[in-house]
Amino acid sequence: MGKYGIGIDIGSTTAKGVLLDNTLKIISDFIMPTGASGSRAVEKIMDEIASSSKLKLKGIPIISTGYGRTRVENAEQSVTEITCHSVGIHSLNPDIRLLIDVGGQDSKVIRIGQDGRPVDFELNDKCSAGTGRFLEVMAGVLGVSIDELGPLALKSLSPATISSTCTVFAESEVVGHIGAGKDPADIAAGVHASMAAKIASLSKRVGTVRPVCITGGVALNPAFRYYISKQLGTELWIPEKPQFTGALGAAVIAIRGLSG
Amino acid sequence: MTETKKEEKVYRQLESNTLLQQIMFQYMLEGHQASEEKHLAWVTSGFPVEIPVAMGVGVSYPEQYGAVVGSQKVGPELCGYAEEIGYSQELCSYARSSIGSVEKPSESPMEGLPTPQALLACNNICGTVLRWYDAVSEQTGAPVFLLDTPPIDGEQPEHHKEYVRRGIDRLVDFLGRTFNATLTEKRMREVAALSSKAIHLWTSSLAACKNTPSPLNCADRFLAMAPVVSMRGTDLIIDFYQTLLDEVESRVKNSIGAIRDEKIRLLWDNIPPWHAIFRFFNGLAKRGVVFPADTYTHAWSGAIEGDDLYESVVSIYSNVYLNKGLDAKVDKMCELIEDYNLDGFLMFSVRSCKRYSLGQLISKELVTERTGVPGVIIEGDMVDSRVFNEAQIQTRIDALLEMFI
Repeated sequence: MGKYGIGIDIGSTTAKGVLLDNTLKIISDFIMPTGASGSRAVEKIMDEIASSSKLKLKGIPIISTGYGRTRVENAEQSVTEITCHSVGIHSLNPDIRLLIDVGGQDSKVIRIGQDGRPVDFELNDKCSAGTGRFLEVMAGVLGVSIDELGPLALKSLSPATISSTCTVFAESEVVGHIGAGKDPADIAAGVHASMAAKIASLSKRVGTVRPVCITGGVALNPAFRYYISKQLGTELWIPEKPQFTGALGAAVIAIRGLSG
Repeated sequence: MTETKKEEKVYRQLESNTLLQQIMFQYMLEGHQASEEKHLAWVTSGFPVEIPVAMGVGVSYPEQYGAVVGSQKVGPELCGYAEEIGYSQELCSYARSSIGSVEKPSESPMEGLPTPQALLACNNICGTVLRWYDAVSEQTGAPVFLLDTPPIDGEQPEHHKEYVRRGIDRLVDFLGRTFNATLTEKRMREVAALSSKAIHLWTSSLAACKNTPSPLNCADRFLAMAPVVSMRGTDLIIDFYQTLLDEVESRVKNSIGAIRDEKIRLLWDNIPPWHAIFRFFNGLAKRGVVFPADTYTHAWSGAIEGDDLYESVVSIYSNVYLNKGLDAKVDKMCELIEDYNLDGFLMFSVRSCKRYSLGQLISKELVTERTGVPGVIIEGDMVDSRVFNEAQIQTRIDALLEMFI
């Protein structure tokens, strides 16, 4: 077992890096927009981790994950985000058996085994309706920032109905509601309820086992948390930094190995 | 200068493939000759082809043509020709390839299939075939014959057998009228014997894959099944299946696997992505993944035998994998996983083929529950590469493989 390990998660929207020591304590972490070049993001992450940890990173094993995982040149190995999220969450809370990760490009539901490894999983279809991108598009239509969208939705007393599960068609529905003079808070609430319903059905496919953990950037959104908890009829457990669990799991694997 | 020994390829090509290419070429020539003599029928893959063959009618297979279109990577173009004249992108890509090739033969592989004088559809594989052949009938003027085999859940009831039997009688009448041909018991027995012999040889090669290492991988079987699908009942294919079986047995005897370093054994469910067949399976072979069994190539395994050949025909063609309920599919998958000692399974959800893909979500759950091995569903299409997203497929497969580490 090495003294340190680095996990790098190149997602569709953000790139994350975590440096761990062998007690699984986070020494340093960093997040940034992935942008057009995954390799530039990796360079920047390594620079930031090096300067904040004041460690020489040369020789520390790196495991890469996320959609850009195969393009991280210095990585010893690339491991899927499904395994990394599972391992990452297990290192934080070994009682979690069901993990819902909602990222920018996809959403995944993972059943975690006793040993922290995934035993079953489902990913959303070729469709952005259950992803962070869906919320970004809807925030754009409503003219609010992505950070404002969740708090806005929580003000609603009567959520609008968004029946479509397709981002493009849902956008038309939202435009229709705006045209009909609906309260933006009600529309925003409808948007979150619609997305939560889609993810809840994905989660029911794998089988909901409590406690349920939510990760990914969308876990930061309070309205999404409210609606998914309501849809699944369960309380949620959310890590302090839900965007980092993939990179964290990769760093754990960098230290312990995939079969460790 | 020293010469380094070239590293052995991860995938070991079958020597019998040369013979396979020869007979497939001959089959194509025979199709053209039959068409010129106004004696050619197009048939669906689950059609009791032994009957037209015994009546001297030549046959061509549009589904097999779809596989050719896919493997030549012109699926989007040919499907596009059908879409241009109004067919939906949701329609089966075999149907679109076929309709597209009839529409624009000069821009299609092999200039399309030879022109048919009749279209023989059996709906034991799906209901789309009837509408598809209706469309080709409009394009070519060839009449359609439907052999109706309603789906079966459990045992085939007597009334079902009688109904399909009457369909077979009507088929013989139809072929007699259309091609001025007759069916004799003697000729039917000869054809049935040849068909059974080919099937026996073929299923012996399939069963040999229970061995470790597996002598055949998915792509091997998907190519080698072509003659047993399209030329059952002819003597041309016996030699090939004997040669294949000899090669397979020799591999088993010498512990030679289809891939160089077998580590993980998986089951494949559904039609393959023809447009990526070698890249896909050889890519996995590099990581030690072999597919000793699949639900698709095992579908051609019923031998026509017994005193009443037609009763046997009725039973075999009514009880095909896709014409039965979900329980039968789940049973078959579990049986293959156990018999072939498999570590997991990969289900290809084919956008085109609703009949094959329907129920995969629940089947996946049931199969894992019963066998204890994990599986994953990947999405795409057999011919239309426009709906095949490699990055998404890769992530799903990688995550499955990580479960075995």
